[in-house]
Amino acid sequence: MNIKTLLKLEIKNRFSNYSLNSAKSYFKLFATLVILAGVVYGVYWVAELFFEMFDKAGIIYEALVMLVSAVFLFMCIAGVSSNIKVLYYKGDNEILMRYPVSGEEVFISKTLFLFINQTLVTAVIVAPFLAAYAKVSGLGVAFYATIPVPIVFLVLITFFLSNILAIPIMQLTNKIRNKFALIIIGLAVLVTVLFAVYMILFNSMVTFMNDKEFSVFDDRIVEGIGNVCKYLIPMKYFADIMVGEELYIAYPVLIMLTGITLIGTILVIVKLYPKTLLNNVEVEGSAFRHVTRNRRRPIFFTLLHKEFLQVFRSVNYSFQYFVLACAMPVMVYFCNNITIQLGQNQIGEQIALGMSLLVMLIFATVITSFAATSTSREGDNFYHTKVAPVSVHTQLAAKFVMYAIVSALANGICALVLYLTKQFDFNTSLWLFAVAESCSISLTLISMRMDINRPYFNLSGEGEVVNNNASTTLSVAAGFVVALTEGILCMLLSYLADIKLAFVLENGYIVEFTTEIMFYVCSGIAAALLLIAITGYLFRLKHAYNKIAK
Amino acid sequence: MLEISHLYKKYMNSERFSVEDLNLSLRPGEIFGFLGQNGAGKSTTIKCLTGIYPFNSGKITICGYDIAKDPINAKLNMGYVPDNHSVYEKLTGREYVNYTADLYKVSKRDRDERFDRYVSQFKLTKAVDNQIKSYSHGMKQKICIIAALIHNPKLWVLDEPMMGLDHQSMVEILKRMDDHCAEGNTVFFSSHNLDLVAKICDRAAIIKDGKLQDVIDLHIKGNKETLEKTFCEITATEQDHINEMTLLRRN
Repeated sequence: MNIKTLLKLEIKNRFSNYSLNSAKSYFKLFATLVILAGVVYGVYWVAELFFEMFDKAGIIYEALVMLVSAVFLFMCIAGVSSNIKVLYYKGDNEILMRYPVSGEEVFISKTLFLFINQTLVTAVIVAPFLAAYAKVSGLGVAFYATIPVPIVFLVLITFFLSNILAIPIMQLTNKIRNKFALIIIGLAVLVTVLFAVYMILFNSMVTFMNDKEFSVFDDRIVEGIGNVCKYLIPMKYFADIMVGEELYIAYPVLIMLTGITLIGTILVIVKLYPKTLLNNVEVEGSAFRHVTRNRRRPIFFTLLHKEFLQVFRSVNYSFQYFVLACAMPVMVYFCNNITIQLGQNQIGEQIALGMSLLVMLIFATVITSFAATSTSREGDNFYHTKVAPVSVHTQLAAKFVMYAIVSALANGICALVLYLTKQFDFNTSLWLFAVAESCSISLTLISMRMDINRPYFNLSGEGEVVNNNASTTLSVAAGFVVALTEGILCMLLSYLADIKLAFVLENGYIVEFTTEIMFYVCSGIAAALLLIAITGYLFRLKHAYNKIAK
Repeated sequence: MLEISHLYKKYMNSERFSVEDLNLSLRPGEIFGFLGQNGAGKSTTIKCLTGIYPFNSGKITICGYDIAKDPINAKLNMGYVPDNHSVYEKLTGREYVNYTADLYKVSKRDRDERFDRYVSQFKLTKAVDNQIKSYSHGMKQKICIIAALIHNPKLWVLDEPMMGLDHQSMVEILKRMDDHCAEGNTVFFSSHNLDLVAKICDRAAIIKDGKLQDVIDLHIKGNKETLEKTFCEITATEQDHINEMTLLRRN
């Protein structure tokens, strides 16, 4: 009975925005299904290309093993992360522990959702991949019928395994949770490596798309992949079930693994879950000790220092902000490299600059959207900003400077990477930096002002923004519009300059597209945007800020 | 020290004034209590005089500085302790106090001396280098108080400072209030605790429905003893009288 009540509570919590009587909810559901169908088709399309590429090299089975291994790892990581979040860290644990319900009941009610969620995500990602594999390798109807079997094993084993791993990983996380520099560096390296791997794979697929007649892998790589795949246990057994090979080993191993992980999970729930839950409620409030001396700083620097610490001492904020800024140069480098390769004899070289600008501005959009919660993030401490004997302009300037430093570093490193890798010359790299930074500053100012006009003080127990506000969405939308406008114009005008397009005006004047025109237009747009952003930001700023009454 | 004249404050989307034609004058060296029921307008008045809320009309001056026209100088002379003891919890106690001291331009020598004195007085020596999020309710209140006093403000404003505090902590804060006034400064605080106000305040004001009802000099004989009665007479509704009679009958 308790489980049913708790489950109902969980459903109401998750779907509080949906109502069966509202047409808006049905529309949302329909829109979600349409998007989902789009995602499934997208995955299928990419998967088909992926398998075709490996099939050409004669290692399609190995591709399947590698794919299943990636999914297996991803599901384990995602499972552990969701488990820790939902089972151990969620704010309602403290409330639930006051009720006369057992730890097992809380676990089952919460874990059911996780399980359903994991099943759906796995099916949506894995099924199109497997279908694509069947098509490319020419397998018959029997193969399609076996698709649910590996999915069921994948879901069960990764789900049980993540339950077992959640507690030790969480304890490790608790131990290092206050080592902010270490976490940020670790996350930055991880995200950068993931981007690099993704881009290398993407690069190979683009090369393959250009010429499907040739294999993108040389013999050494093919041999290496084959050797690695032999040792990817137990992941290779999922693939074996699908292709119907070594079934006499694959089935017993996977069944045994399911059994062992299930027993492990049960032991964890019974022996450790309630204890860890209670312990965690306490640990969540834990903090670090940092012995310093009294130190006097100029007002502006003390504001800047406080702002930095507020972001730096939060893993969530640091990830959203610093880590993505670190990953930006890697992404820009690879994108540019791919674009140039895309058509050495076609339009690749002409659009490379525009593509770099587009990618830089898309990243800048994500980074600067953080400024859309600059005021909201103050939360209950907002009164400090009103009581402090420091002008509003100075306080906001400190926030702005921090954002500008991060965006300038990210854009600067991008431009430097492009210059040092000889993708662009010095002047072009400098121009790229100037335009990207100018747009970043504009977007930061626009985001900050939007937040001042409509702040949303919805913070979690840790004092962090739990939901992004409407300003964040608008800021991202504005950033994409700017990125697309600048990026596409840059590509288009570069292309027109390359083909030397010209036309004659009525008065006989000849207009010829040149590279200079592209530079002037893009720079002009960036300058105009900056002017508008500064004017809009400063317009009755004090009045708007004083109106906020938290 | 603090002059409020004809203060009017109406919230957005509200039909009525939360504070209406409020006049107050606080003298140097006095502790002034601000009394009223929940929603009477105490916190709104305090938020207006600290610069948190804008107001519709009237004038507020702190040490001669108009909070609307010269907010920086007005705020430099004031220390504020909020009712919800909100602080930057990611900072340590010392970092937070230093941050405040920087904003109020406190010299290194003064901050070292005051910091050590207050930290020891409020028994926070062991915790001051810990992150504030590990502090208890009372400790957060104390670090707020230290931050509010680090620049030795002429006017110290506290919004319901004793809420949820244990006896020892209350005594520590009261002692600090007394010392602060002895140095010629002024303390202005809102409270629901009539006994406490009667015991330590020089004067007290009672506010009801946003209007100032009375300012009572507690040095005048008999006023301390009758403060509760006066407060009830001014603020109680008919239902409050019925409730009180019921309780008396039961006793």
